[in-house]
Amino acid sequence: MTLPQNIKSHFPIFTHHPGLLYFDNAATTQRPQVVIEAIEKFYKEENANIHRGVYPLSARASQAYERVRAQVANFIGAANSKDVAFTSGTTDSINRVASGYLKKQLEEGDNIIISALAHHANLIPWQMLAEEKKAELRVISVDAQGNVDLNELLKKLDRRSRLLAITSISNSIGTLNPVAEMIDLAHRKGVPVLVDGAQSTGLYPLNVRTLGADFYTFSAHKMFGPFGVGVLYVRPRYQDQIKPIHFGGGMIKRVQFSKTEFLDFPKNQEAGTPNVAGVIGLGAAISFCEKLDQVQCAKHLKSLAAYAKEAFASIDGLHLVGQPKDYGGIVSFTMDQVHPHDLAQFLGEEGIAVRAGHHCTQPLLESMGLAATTRASFSIYNSTAEIDQMLEALKAIKKFWE
Amino acid sequence: MNPRLKNLYKEVILMHNAKPFHFQKMENEEGMIEANNPLCGDRFQFFLQEENGRITAAHFHGFGCAISKASASILTQKLEGKTRLEAQSLCAGFLGFIEGENREAISDQEIEAFAAVDEFPARKDCAILGWKAINDYLSK
Repeated sequence: MTLPQNIKSHFPIFTHHPGLLYFDNAATTQRPQVVIEAIEKFYKEENANIHRGVYPLSARASQAYERVRAQVANFIGAANSKDVAFTSGTTDSINRVASGYLKKQLEEGDNIIISALAHHANLIPWQMLAEEKKAELRVISVDAQGNVDLNELLKKLDRRSRLLAITSISNSIGTLNPVAEMIDLAHRKGVPVLVDGAQSTGLYPLNVRTLGADFYTFSAHKMFGPFGVGVLYVRPRYQDQIKPIHFGGGMIKRVQFSKTEFLDFPKNQEAGTPNVAGVIGLGAAISFCEKLDQVQCAKHLKSLAAYAKEAFASIDGLHLVGQPKDYGGIVSFTMDQVHPHDLAQFLGEEGIAVRAGHHCTQPLLESMGLAATTRASFSIYNSTAEIDQMLEALKAIKKFWE
Repeated sequence: MNPRLKNLYKEVILMHNAKPFHFQKMENEEGMIEANNPLCGDRFQFFLQEENGRITAAHFHGFGCAISKASASILTQKLEGKTRLEAQSLCAGFLGFIEGENREAISDQEIEAFAAVDEFPARKDCAILGWKAINDYLSK
């Protein structure tokens, strides 16, 4: 199956902005009609708080919420819906692993390994923890093209390594990492692995069990779902080791004034009223993704990126940032004489939405001698014809700034 | 170029961006003032030489968009020769101008050039990057 021809028509934003070329999908994707409708329908027809209500409306909301948990588990290849906790997003998920799991494991002199491609969300929680515990944060560097060096990973792994935290696709320069191989190397040394799947989940084939991920995190809003909802998958063997970091209602077995017993994972991660409508929206987004062929989606994104790279690089004075061997639908570049912000402003006026800045990967760009890039990131509704339009705009911009 | 953009990227801004005033790194590290925008990574350093409460020379260096660079250039140029008090009132005036205050009171072409950021609220931070840092420094 190829991508549906009329895919754009599923996304109301393009009806409201017919000329919009939306190339900021790494920041957030657009939402299809079915997701918007599911959220609206919940608030209009099904709204009630979950868990504690016995009346029909609450019981149905609880069922719907738990159905999405099962749907997520099935979609990512988890064995059981109990392996999946709802969070507010990837950042929240990673912080939970840092503070709820690793904090108790980490001792002075231990080390945590990340890669230079890490988004700040998959860097700072580990940096803070390492600082607090007098542990070492080891960073696998990338080569000039933006590839992770597996030999370096192998060298950095030792018996004091307590976690490897990696990213599926670099949000900044597009590198598609050999996650399965990296996990395998870590597991051979007995080191658990967290995968930041924010940039790949939904449009790339995924099975957390065959992948071997011990912790897998992603956000709904980067896969056509709503803002404010994310997922933390924890492999069964680590579930009793990840403690709650937020406390409140909905997560307890028994509360006394002197002590509290908590529910098991994943319920112990969901203190307070969760984003029920958001979870319902995530369910609709997954249903939408289930109708897509992830192998085709991944191919489509890579071919768009390849097309854009070749087109943009034909402009004299335009430099691609990162030329990784394997990559997702993300292209980062700089243009001589034009600051990325000015470039993005000019593109914006042409109805072309791109992002300029460090993309929350400041140390990576600094290591490449850069402070900022312009980034175009693609999704299923983008086309080569749109990239042609951007190419013309880039040529005009270059002419103006010369 | 569309009129909105033309209004933002005025000739005077493009000129200062292309040929910024006293754009060079200086030795006097202790007198260095950092201005950085954590959102985008833009960063300038200002170097002020002061004698008897007067700024005798100003230089700047760093990386930033056309708006922030031009505004830093104009700032650097205007700082030279001013007393601390005059410089402070200059910065406060510019920061107020960007927020839409006392627009009539300003009759300086180089400052007025930045009025178009009204239409581009995301670029306000670019316009004030250097001015805010110098203002903070002088208020200390």
